[in-house]
Amino acid sequence: MSLWSRLGNVFRSGAVQRELDEELQFHIDERTRELIAAGTTPEAAARDVARRFGNPLRLREQSLDVKLLPWLDSLARDVRLGLRMLSKNAVVTCAAVLSLSLALGACVAAFSLVDALILRQLPVREPGQLVYMTFPTDDPERPESETSSDPVFVALRAAARGRADLFAMSTQVMRPVRFGGPTSEKEPVRTQYVSGDTFERLGVAAARGRLLTAQDDVRPGAHPVVVVSHAFWQRRFSGDPAAVGRWLILGDRQFEIVGVADSRFTGVEPGRPTDIWFPYAMFDPRAFGSFNFGWTRVFGRLNANVRVEQAQSVMEMAFRNVRRDWAERVGANESPASLARFVGAPLHVRSAANGPSPLRSQFERPLWILASIAVLVLLIAGSNVANLFLARAAAREHEMALRLSIGAGRGRLIQQVLIESALVAAAACLFGLLFAAVAAPAVVGMLAPAGDPVQLSLRMDWRVLAVAGGLTLLTTALFGLAPALRASRVAPMTALKTGGGRSGARAGVMRPFVAIQVAFGLVVMFVGTLLVLSFAKLSSVDPGFAASNVLLVSMETVERMEEPPQRAALLDVLERLRRLPGVEAVSSAEYNVLGRAWTSNPRLPGRGRETIETTMAPVTPGFFETMRIPLLAGRTFGSGDMGVDNAAAIVVNETFARRYFAGAPAVGRFVEGRMGNKNVDKYEVVGVVGDTKYDLRKTPAPIIYMLLRPATIGTLYVRASGDAVVLATRLREEIRAANPLFRMTSFTSQSAAVQQTLLRERLLALLAGFFAMVGLVLAAVGLYGVLSYSVVQRTREIGIRVALGARRLGLVRTVVAEAGQPALVGAGFGLAGGLYLSRFVESLLFEVTPVDFWSVVLPLGTLLLTALLAAALPALRAVRVDPVVALRYE
Amino acid sequence: MARQDALQGSLPLLLLTLLARRGPLHGYAMATQIEGMSDETLRVEEGSLYPALHRLEEAGWIKARWTTSGTGRRARVYEITAAGRTQLDTEEARWKAITAAVGKILKHA
Repeated sequence: MSLWSRLGNVFRSGAVQRELDEELQFHIDERTRELIAAGTTPEAAARDVARRFGNPLRLREQSLDVKLLPWLDSLARDVRLGLRMLSKNAVVTCAAVLSLSLALGACVAAFSLVDALILRQLPVREPGQLVYMTFPTDDPERPESETSSDPVFVALRAAARGRADLFAMSTQVMRPVRFGGPTSEKEPVRTQYVSGDTFERLGVAAARGRLLTAQDDVRPGAHPVVVVSHAFWQRRFSGDPAAVGRWLILGDRQFEIVGVADSRFTGVEPGRPTDIWFPYAMFDPRAFGSFNFGWTRVFGRLNANVRVEQAQSVMEMAFRNVRRDWAERVGANESPASLARFVGAPLHVRSAANGPSPLRSQFERPLWILASIAVLVLLIAGSNVANLFLARAAAREHEMALRLSIGAGRGRLIQQVLIESALVAAAACLFGLLFAAVAAPAVVGMLAPAGDPVQLSLRMDWRVLAVAGGLTLLTTALFGLAPALRASRVAPMTALKTGGGRSGARAGVMRPFVAIQVAFGLVVMFVGTLLVLSFAKLSSVDPGFAASNVLLVSMETVERMEEPPQRAALLDVLERLRRLPGVEAVSSAEYNVLGRAWTSNPRLPGRGRETIETTMAPVTPGFFETMRIPLLAGRTFGSGDMGVDNAAAIVVNETFARRYFAGAPAVGRFVEGRMGNKNVDKYEVVGVVGDTKYDLRKTPAPIIYMLLRPATIGTLYVRASGDAVVLATRLREEIRAANPLFRMTSFTSQSAAVQQTLLRERLLALLAGFFAMVGLVLAAVGLYGVLSYSVVQRTREIGIRVALGARRLGLVRTVVAEAGQPALVGAGFGLAGGLYLSRFVESLLFEVTPVDFWSVVLPLGTLLLTALLAAALPALRAVRVDPVVALRYE
Repeated sequence: MARQDALQGSLPLLLLTLLARRGPLHGYAMATQIEGMSDETLRVEEGSLYPALHRLEEAGWIKARWTTSGTGRRARVYEITAAGRTQLDTEEARWKAITAAVGKILKHA
């Protein structure tokens, strides 16, 4: 209780002091009155009382020590003094707080992203026991796949028994689901197929109804039940308890919602919360027993005492067996060497404690890079603040000396300066948290296209707050201590003798900080420049088609139709759209030009059983005209090709012709294989078109364009003559008018679709470029501050020199050299550091290397130029020093 | 100095006793009463009176409030609390034990 009252008194110390004074004054007055009443003269009485009282100040201090907590009181006083000192220099203080909070906020935002996407464990029972498997692929660029087929899963599960319980969870796919009748609007939801025991293995409970069990996963196609996520239940059904028992339609099957999962469980993929879980047995029936459907991830919960390596060796053995069976079943046309390679390709058992995530593998490195950049910027901002306080410490030398000489302890002085920097850091921490609360979700929004957003739960939990607090403390300690020690180290005699702050204190102490700023600034700029240059190169890549003014319109059929009428209906819609004013060309294709594509392995006649690998692109006539893909030889598809059932015409791209026909004319040649049309297995090349890129980063792949099977209506491509977006509403109406069975669901522009394939690069370039600018500005401000301070300090010296006839140019050289030396040292270290660290970004670069001319010259030149500009003003000021004024001032 | 030293250690006891027996008093009254009752033998220095009072107050043995004195001025008067009475008993017992011990030595040594 006493501690509390004393703690309370600290915050009303003014009132406590007044009360004390009043009490003592009362005593003095009473005694004086009594003495006078007893016959003493007033003067003698006052003398007598004063003698008895001794030093009233000391008395007051003694009582204050009893009533207050002395250390807390001194702290509170220092805080008040610090606030006063800081508000005196409001502009400088604001700049310091702003730069620090920007850097701190960036660090906190980066941490909360790293935490949410990379570090945080899944909210399930003992996530440390969870593993998942990756499987070998033939693609050297992506040697591991997370998915495998049903027979592999079944074989692995049997082999693991006793060591681990394996369960299957498919990849998550957006699928159109209806919640009303069979003609209600389809809603895109994130779906996943899971084996019946999944929830039990994960240790997830039901919030409503029940979860899927092993009984829901016995016979393929026989279990029309689903479980929805808590978030989806809230979003779609407003948490209505009656949602359990409702029906939904996927494809042409009805499913009953039997339960809602616990609210904490949002699926096993960070950033991509699942909406609906379907039983494994309800997947495409053709997938069961087939090696050709790679659709499911294989998870496992290791039994207690089983280590990952043990599970690895068991799984590897089982996987080899199943691959051998598979190879034997597929056929014997493979050489023994390639067979051995196929069978021996290893599977990997990996920890699934934080969930497997394609998003993570895509963004893990960029996030770490951005986090490191944020830390560097924090160091730059911190040394800026340190310089600020160093300058102020020097300016306050006189005050410090005075306080020291009347008995203040050095500890108190250090405390005072440290408290000032802690105040700045605390304010920065507060603003930084606010900044992070805005910035982190904004970055999440940039991780994925708007249609398929990433949903990361960025909680401001104790871990984030701890990081913010820790960084704040660290900044204070790292950058507040030097000025504090500097301030306390004044020698009172010299400082007082030479008078106000010109005791020969040079800007020398600040030089290391200038070097640090320049070094880190250069590293940040170097990395930023690399990423920006790389993005610029990538954006200017010619994709082989003209993206501007092309709209991508997604369309769905309300009811199922037979193929011939649907084809006619589609062609009719295309024809009607083509006649709309403002429309230049219309066509349809199954996949987006820069999106998902499927590859196939057809054969060339006369080449035996050898297969080739090519991308397949089903399109309608008019596609090449709409996309402005140039025709190089032969002809493109005509409307006549589309009208017949057994169309056998294909168009290939330049790369295909070059690679597989080796320069000979491709038109008139044949390709054998299944290409969508069941009745045809030999296709004739009727034309060759220019190359287009499916991935802007890669060289063009061989493509076969074939006629679209209208059973799968894909995307409509509409080339507008003017602004494409304005056209969208008209298109919607026209499609509905053309055929009520078609419905336009969404649209985007081809340019936006191109941009979307560069999300990661754009994010990196944007943020790294931004921080490069911030780092540059901070370094310049730091340099400028130190130089102007040094000029002010040496005004007198410069005055004397000028009076003695020093040349102005020499003065400029002196001032510039003052900053130049540490700046050059810093630049050297920065360049070395940048080159070293660029190894970590190299894999993300496109046609740019760290040792290119521009990658080195651009950041270095910009930095040195900025440093020169920062030095120019103080140098000018030095030149303008009027010796008469300077000397008289003293 | 000698007179002040005589009081060392016993001032809290005297103050508590005074407040327990004579009710709410301000600092000046306590000083004059101690001096008066001890025939000027014990003189209370202001320099020790107020810190002592404030320490007792912080310990929760006495509490203070502002009243209007006979001369119409605001005066801070103290009164003893329940905890203070317990403390008084302890201190009194200790004082008696010490004086008895000192007396014994003076008598028998």
